[in-house]
Amino acid sequence: MMNFINLLMAGLATGAIYALVAIGFTLLWQTSQTINFAQGEFVMVPAFFVLAALNVGMPLPLALLVGLALSMLVLGVLFKRLLVDPMLRHGVLPLAICTMALSIFLKETVKEVYSAEASPFPSFLPGGNLNLLGATISIQSISIFVFAICAVVALQTFLTKTSTGRQMQATAQNPYVAKLLGVPVERMIMYTFLINAALVALASFLISPVYLAKFSAGETLGLAAFIAAIVGGFNQIRGAIVGGLLLGVIDNLAAAYISTQYRGAVPLFLLIAVILFRPQGLMGRAEERTV
Amino acid sequence: MTQPVLSVRDIVAGYGEMTILNGTTFDVMPGTITTVIGPNGAGKSTVFKTIFGMLKARTGSIHFKGTDITNAPPRKLLALGLCYVPQGRNIFPELNVLSNLELGGIAASADVNIPQRIEAVLERFPVLRRKGQQQAGTLSGGEQKLLEIARSLLLDPQLMLIDEPSIGLSPMMVQEVFSIIKELRAKGVSVLMIEQNARSALEISDDGLVLELGRTRMQDRAQTLLNDPRVGQLFLGGVIEEKSA
Repeated sequence: MMNFINLLMAGLATGAIYALVAIGFTLLWQTSQTINFAQGEFVMVPAFFVLAALNVGMPLPLALLVGLALSMLVLGVLFKRLLVDPMLRHGVLPLAICTMALSIFLKETVKEVYSAEASPFPSFLPGGNLNLLGATISIQSISIFVFAICAVVALQTFLTKTSTGRQMQATAQNPYVAKLLGVPVERMIMYTFLINAALVALASFLISPVYLAKFSAGETLGLAAFIAAIVGGFNQIRGAIVGGLLLGVIDNLAAAYISTQYRGAVPLFLLIAVILFRPQGLMGRAEERTV
Repeated sequence: MTQPVLSVRDIVAGYGEMTILNGTTFDVMPGTITTVIGPNGAGKSTVFKTIFGMLKARTGSIHFKGTDITNAPPRKLLALGLCYVPQGRNIFPELNVLSNLELGGIAASADVNIPQRIEAVLERFPVLRRKGQQQAGTLSGGEQKLLEIARSLLLDPQLMLIDEPSIGLSPMMVQEVFSIIKELRAKGVSVLMIEQNARSALEISDDGLVLELGRTRMQDRAQTLLNDPRVGQLFLGGVIEEKSA
């Protein structure tokens, strides 16, 4: 039983990280029709920004801030300006293919420039174990979960309670009408890219201490976030949250109770089931589209 | 002589290679309802998009109260007192009704008291106050149209462009929308309307405008157009004789 609770906690912790990445993924899709297949690599890269900053002698808090700033610049502003803006004119699919190329480019660059080996990454959250009634619970799991959920709540509050947040939602739900009302649509889309960059950086800082920083770390993460977004409903932030948490828990329980070998297959079964029986996702709303 | 509130001169515009408007010219007089009629593809909605800066006019000019607004962005037009209610559903379905309404005030200049304006609009549309916290997507089609109209009234416009307001609405809701439009005129707001239900629209209008192939074919008093057999045959179903008999 205690083992189960530990697995559940670890699952919620990874699930919350998946949720952060999946939220960014759906936000980009909603506001700019960008399907970012490099989203996993976007989680891998910020950890290396921080490692580079640590290598030149910065203290951890400063290095994390530098990592966040660089992520917002490179994975937010430059990504939008240099890749999304020029490619989106040619359609959603050419852009999606370009993001696949970007994912390979980022992986190979990190491998060449930094290292092909996994590097340990310092945690900024409390670690260790908590002894509770004779059972041990990982404090790290709990703190990751709490931190990620706080970030999600902060984002939701921003999106629903502030005027800028509502203008971003308006842009996502109906960009044409948003423009008619005088919403600076282009700026709102840029904000979305910045928020996505911040979310992946945060996910990177949370997950790298657990799974180490490695050039290939984004492969599973990107897939997990993609599945979480689809399972939850592609057009819903709360869908991404539910999808992420569900996937994290199922992933961890499957590894322990079914087989570690089949661990990777379980999320895919979930994906197939959702696409077959509830294509709009668990929380999603069906979208009408003229083709 | 009174100056027109909106004056459109020789507008040429279109999508990509395609030219839709080919020298469209007309005026809207202050405090009147003007209905635009014409066959499908005549460029009715395109005129609205061009006036409202959503489509670039290649040549020609548009003046609003004497100010040149050719190709001005929506934000500027809204601040000047122009508003546009496009065809179809134009709400933000996942935001609640009040947030939808507030977004109508984005373009307001700093001296506009938005909470006060919202209060005034809610006073006129009590159903929106009652359903203020609901997601806008849960409103009925007619209520969504009312929300759009209410939202466009937030900045106290002097000219409203409204495209097919009655489409897809119940007969009762159509009456409601038409009476709102008449009410606006009584307050001195000019309305430029496109309406598939041309007869009903002309009946409440002062002026009418017939567009064909992107050109102004006729501009006259609405009553004159209603009685014109050519217009009757072309756009009103040719039932004028039967009616007067």
